[in-house]
Amino acid sequence: MAGEQNTATGAKAPVAARSVALWDPVVRLFHWALVLAFFAVWFLGKFGPDQMTLHFYAGYAVGGLVLLRLIWGIIGPAPARFTSFVRGPKAVMAYARHLPARRPSNTLGHNAVGALFVVGILAVLVVQVTTGLIGDPEDYVNTGPLADYVAIETSRTALSLHELLGNLAMIMVIVHIAAIGFYRRWKGEDLVTPMITGKKQIPAETD
Amino acid sequence: MRKLLTAGIAAALIVPASLSFAGGPEDVVNARLGYYRLLGLEMDGLAAMAKGEAEYSAEAAQGHAANIQTLTQYNPGGLFAPGTSNADLPGKTRALPAIWENFPKVGEKGAAFRAAVAELNAVAGNGLDALRPAVGKLGGTCKACHDDFRATDY
Repeated sequence: MAGEQNTATGAKAPVAARSVALWDPVVRLFHWALVLAFFAVWFLGKFGPDQMTLHFYAGYAVGGLVLLRLIWGIIGPAPARFTSFVRGPKAVMAYARHLPARRPSNTLGHNAVGALFVVGILAVLVVQVTTGLIGDPEDYVNTGPLADYVAIETSRTALSLHELLGNLAMIMVIVHIAAIGFYRRWKGEDLVTPMITGKKQIPAETD
Repeated sequence: MRKLLTAGIAAALIVPASLSFAGGPEDVVNARLGYYRLLGLEMDGLAAMAKGEAEYSAEAAQGHAANIQTLTQYNPGGLFAPGTSNADLPGKTRALPAIWENFPKVGEKGAAFRAAVAELNAVAGNGLDALRPAVGKLGGTCKACHDDFRATDY
């Protein structure tokens, strides 16, 4: 696998590789379920029926998945745990400096920059689900299930934020996909396969 | 006599001034909000039944539906006097200037709304299962217009 990439992209990396376990099944299931739920909720929200029942269901799915990931980030195995991959600004800058280099990072897990995205998208989705739950568009059918517990002014502000963050979340997803493409094409590192199989190919001499 | 005349002239000057004030943009906005609040009150009653928050009553449902139908008889043209958008009166209204830039499209949304109101009136008294989709559809026509012509916040 790693050998194919190197010839395909011209990036230089050792050919000898070994396979190591990286992403546990919960992380992988979470990721791909979130992909489905996110695109469903986003397009239903923007272009879906005026009765937004399906958007609501997809939103509940996103909320449940994010909650699962947050819990897993505390009790899950090391690569999934926030304490193992969230790094300080120094580590982030150090990683960012190596980013343009035309070679695989061979990071086992989220790298320091990628961790920013993970935390960022989870934070945006938490706010997005919350504002959706308390939002009230005042059409009497698409009322957020928790809108009754807050003032109408809060519901309106929540909905404005909901629209704004919806766009932001999609931009973040596009940047995320672009980054995966950048790793694949420029750095010769396949980040997709590990998220499917759970196993990552790294050079034999890497610890 | 002269005193009376002076008072009369003064009154003649003051009254139209206050009349024109009464028809000012803010009053139009208030009247518009009032109109949609009337609709909202009836929708609220229907939505409560549709969501199971209130017990279904054929009489009450039909009553709400009839009130909304009555409100559709009102010609809301005066409520959309020019100079009453949220650009003209920020913080007072959420009506987007787009309304005045695309009246035909607003009219289409209104037509969809009135069609949904008619459908609702045909089924409101026929049980909760008949009411629910009709209320959903009506609320959907509210949203369809809000999406294009109402700002989410003040």
